[in-house]
Amino acid sequence: MDKIICLGKNYLDHTLEMKEKAPERPVLFIKPPSTFVEPKENSNVVLPWKRGLIHHECEIVFKLYKKNIIGLGLGLDLTLRDVQKKLKENGHPWEIAKTFKNSAIVTPIKGLRDFPKDWQDCLFTLKVNGDIRQESKLNNAIMKADEIIHYVDEFFPLCDGDLIFTGTPSGVGPLNPNDLVEMSFGPILHSFRVVEIG
Amino acid sequence: MDKRQLSHDILNMLERLRIMHDLAKDQNFTVIKKEEVLSDLEETLHKLEADLKALIQ
Repeated sequence: MDKIICLGKNYLDHTLEMKEKAPERPVLFIKPPSTFVEPKENSNVVLPWKRGLIHHECEIVFKLYKKNIIGLGLGLDLTLRDVQKKLKENGHPWEIAKTFKNSAIVTPIKGLRDFPKDWQDCLFTLKVNGDIRQESKLNNAIMKADEIIHYVDEFFPLCDGDLIFTGTPSGVGPLNPNDLVEMSFGPILHSFRVVEIG
Repeated sequence: MDKRQLSHDILNMLERLRIMHDLAKDQNFTVIKKEEVLSDLEETLHKLEADLKALIQ
């Protein structure tokens, strides 16, 4: 994998909950592959709470091959929210709030043939300790699948194996040590625990 | 071509081969057809050999 490309503010409800102005087009940023983790079912993912509040942002993830979506997963774009807030206030880039180890958690990717044809209308859900925190579908987003690929291709050289995080809906919130995270989307049902020490 | 670029291209081709492996293992030919994967495989292996030989020199 060469890079993880992320869309910010692709769901209006999330932009509104953050009390921010909707941009003309979604914001783009990159996470390096070293932030990526694909946790095994029921495993632990270590996160750095000593650096501050960690928020979950659940989103559909595309895997690319020759600029085509060949597989889908569900991802957590983790964000050091307090750090990000300070950076935004000072007009600085967000990278250090988004690029810590294990900050790009992705379920195993499933091939497109495992999803219904209208997968953009399928609900994806994030539960934390059994409570639904985020639930939406890509059809609720400002940019849908084809438009996202064209948009990203305008700005980045797309490489085979790149991942695209397609933006998060409303409901972002804190993760705490020992929380049980469950993510579901189409044929995907995946759970793991976030912990402070490995 | 400089060796740094060659190395980058080789690593991209290895990633490409990994994806082809996944497509084949899962019989996932919904988007990329089987014939296209076979054609990509031949092209990638040919270029991989040439680039690796160039890198060794």
